[in-house]
Amino acid sequence: LTQRIIEGHSPQAIPIMVPVASSMTRIGVYVCHCGLNIAGVVDVSNVADYAKALPDVAVVKHYPYMCSEPGQRMIQDDIRTHKLNRILIATCSPRMHEETFRRAVDRAGLNPYLVEIVNLREHVSWPHSGEPEKATEKAKALVRMGVARVKLLQPLERQRVSVEKSVLVVGGGIAGIQASLDLANAGFKVYLVEKSPSIGGRMAQLDKTFPTLDCSACILTPKMVDVARHQNVVLLTNSEVVGVKGFVGNYEVTVRKNPRFVDEAKCVGCELCVKACPVKVPDKFNENLSQTRAVSIYSPHAVPKVATVNPNYCLRLKTKNKTVCGKCVQACEAKAIDFDQEPETVALKVGGVVIAVGSDVFDASKMFEFGYGRFPNVISNIEFERISDASGPTGGKILSPKNGKPPNSIIFVQCVGSRDKRFHEYCCRVGCMVSLKQAILVREKLGKDVSIYVCYNDLRAFGKGYEEFYRRARDMGINFVAGIPSDIRSTGDDSLYFDVFESGTNKLLELHADLVVLANCLVPSDDVNKIGKLFHALRSADGFFLEAHPKLRPLDCSVAGISLAGVCQGPKDIPDTVSQASGAAVKVIDLLSSGEIELEPLKAVVDKDLCSGCRICDALCPFLAIEMKKEPKAGPEELRAEVIEAMCQGCGLCSACPTGAIKIQQYSSSQVLAQVDAAFARATAKGGTRR
Amino acid sequence: LTITDLMSMAKPNLESQKRILAKLQGRELMNCFLCIKCTSGCTALKLLELKPHEIEKLVNFGFVDELASSDIIWTCATCLKCIQRCPQKASPYHVIIALRNLAVEREAKVPEAYMKAVSQILENGLAESIQKVTTKKMENFDRESLKLPKVKGPKESFQAIFMKALEEK
Repeated sequence: LTQRIIEGHSPQAIPIMVPVASSMTRIGVYVCHCGLNIAGVVDVSNVADYAKALPDVAVVKHYPYMCSEPGQRMIQDDIRTHKLNRILIATCSPRMHEETFRRAVDRAGLNPYLVEIVNLREHVSWPHSGEPEKATEKAKALVRMGVARVKLLQPLERQRVSVEKSVLVVGGGIAGIQASLDLANAGFKVYLVEKSPSIGGRMAQLDKTFPTLDCSACILTPKMVDVARHQNVVLLTNSEVVGVKGFVGNYEVTVRKNPRFVDEAKCVGCELCVKACPVKVPDKFNENLSQTRAVSIYSPHAVPKVATVNPNYCLRLKTKNKTVCGKCVQACEAKAIDFDQEPETVALKVGGVVIAVGSDVFDASKMFEFGYGRFPNVISNIEFERISDASGPTGGKILSPKNGKPPNSIIFVQCVGSRDKRFHEYCCRVGCMVSLKQAILVREKLGKDVSIYVCYNDLRAFGKGYEEFYRRARDMGINFVAGIPSDIRSTGDDSLYFDVFESGTNKLLELHADLVVLANCLVPSDDVNKIGKLFHALRSADGFFLEAHPKLRPLDCSVAGISLAGVCQGPKDIPDTVSQASGAAVKVIDLLSSGEIELEPLKAVVDKDLCSGCRICDALCPFLAIEMKKEPKAGPEELRAEVIEAMCQGCGLCSACPTGAIKIQQYSSSQVLAQVDAAFARATAKGGTRR
Repeated sequence: LTITDLMSMAKPNLESQKRILAKLQGRELMNCFLCIKCTSGCTALKLLELKPHEIEKLVNFGFVDELASSDIIWTCATCLKCIQRCPQKASPYHVIIALRNLAVEREAKVPEAYMKAVSQILENGLAESIQKVTTKKMENFDRESLKLPKVKGPKESFQAIFMKALEEK
């Protein structure tokens, strides 16, 4: 039987069979030293000698680095010369090298799924480094279990499916823009979906960028225009992703285009309607520091530069009365205002997805001690950006919101909301550099007589040119106070004061300021939550999206076919965001460029004869990979579970099946129980040590 | 003024800070980021509790008055280790010397040893007096018995210039 399967019968032909080891089974056992990582604790030659006595083991070898080229060649040669048909490798974690060994075995003509890895490093030598003898015994037990299991492994074939050569990019900030441009330039069709009426995201709100003090709009706006005009990009602004179906390579995405109540094709962006509109609305782009109208253009650099009516404020839309107001309709010469617009649903078929939904800025009113929300001259760093920006509410003049005068003294307070177990434990990674930049802008705009203090506890200037930027700030007479205030108070007139213990001078200082700027951290937005649920993307403890591997797969989402870009994966600055976005684009190109992909065969399979149609697996599956299908033979109302292989991630939750009809390939009860039996086998086979 | 030292109710003296900055030719020699390496290796720390980083930082904030009248600035042994080892090429040494200058300008009390050194320089051109040496075998030597040449006192013109400089402060 084993021989027949190796000769190329697909596992689909015999989906459920009770695996039985045949007398033809010839196992090769390879024990890796991993330098001294394993051999420094575990007696590898002892383990190898032990394995020789286990049943059906034909060859046992130990070697310093099994993963090296000579190590792999040793296995391949043995497969040929000793006619091995099962391979057990006792080495590091399968997360590290399982794929390496599968490829090696495949090249020697053996089915790659007939390899089993026993983890002697993460499971033995590292955790038990103080007890080498016991570690060696544990290694033997694991090898014994592995041998019991490897006999019962089934050869599996990888399925190939064709893919859609188009990509959905969710979020039109700098990350989404960069990913879209890279994908579009590589020839892929890109659908760029942005919730706001304009693309640009957070970067569009910034005044200057550290450490070069480039004007943010000057470097961003050309990219916004490029992406909107690119022939391979379909720009969907004022739109939200509302539904996701399908699987890697073949996603079906539903996008809702919310009505602008303005015809995008007709609007010329002249703002006549804005001037005519009588309803004042807080300006979200300016962080509510100024007011715009119920019909407005999102920002001065908006792309597309098209007006949008805010249905929450527009008198006609609020009252649902067609005779109310209508001043914008009269003012518009292009006849672009259209109050009859309805939400529109767009169905997209895409092969891959880049999630780049960005983040929110921490709401400092949660921290009573800093007085944000109580004192108008305590502002957040993002509000400072708008105040300092030439297109902002003050035309770029740094003025205190309390009295409208330029401040004589400004204090920056670092780590607001971050590095704080009450709120967010992580470092926001940008707060220090943002405050350095803002302090330098204050010095440049308000001159040498204004006092500038930065209250910090660790100043982190980690990037290229950042430390030099910090030095420049100190050279400019910006004072760095090593200590964070506990309580910001108002003097009763237009200024604020607080005490701070300065650890550099060992003194309690009292500081007065006309303006306090809080270095608020970046926090996961509601969109991270919403989009995460739609795509079944996992999130890490900090609330941002979880990458597939923190070091080796930082661009991949936990779900196949989805890449992550920008701050939605974790706080980062513009250079890092742009790099990650380009990387995420390349990951998608890598996935889709050949037009088809190979799917891992370790999936669930259903025995239809045992399935009772109870739907437990359907309810449990987090990847929507179970479909309940009518079975013609089973009677009119009978349903049977069917696994959509491309969507199944092989997690095994569906094994909760009460009738045992569903199992994961290579993890059948008999395969797992053989391992359990071996674990508890007191008397081991032929000469194995007794304990 | 925006900053107060609540322990002594001192305010920064920006006028004096500006004069120190002029002496240091800019901020570079006080461009401290508080690694505190200078204090970790300070020769005068263990016996005399000199903490160069504190002095550096206080001058940075403008708190110079208390320092200029304190004894602590006179404890620096001028070993110059802090200059050699500062990762930011700052120099508490230069800041301390500038503070000493300020103290003399203000006619603050200068430790006796320094005044003695001044008179030595006037007398023989050296900061230290010429001393006799006693060996392990309890033999005494001086320059004459070792046949070393006599140290000539400084020229009168030097004394005149030195006195003039002292008067000008």
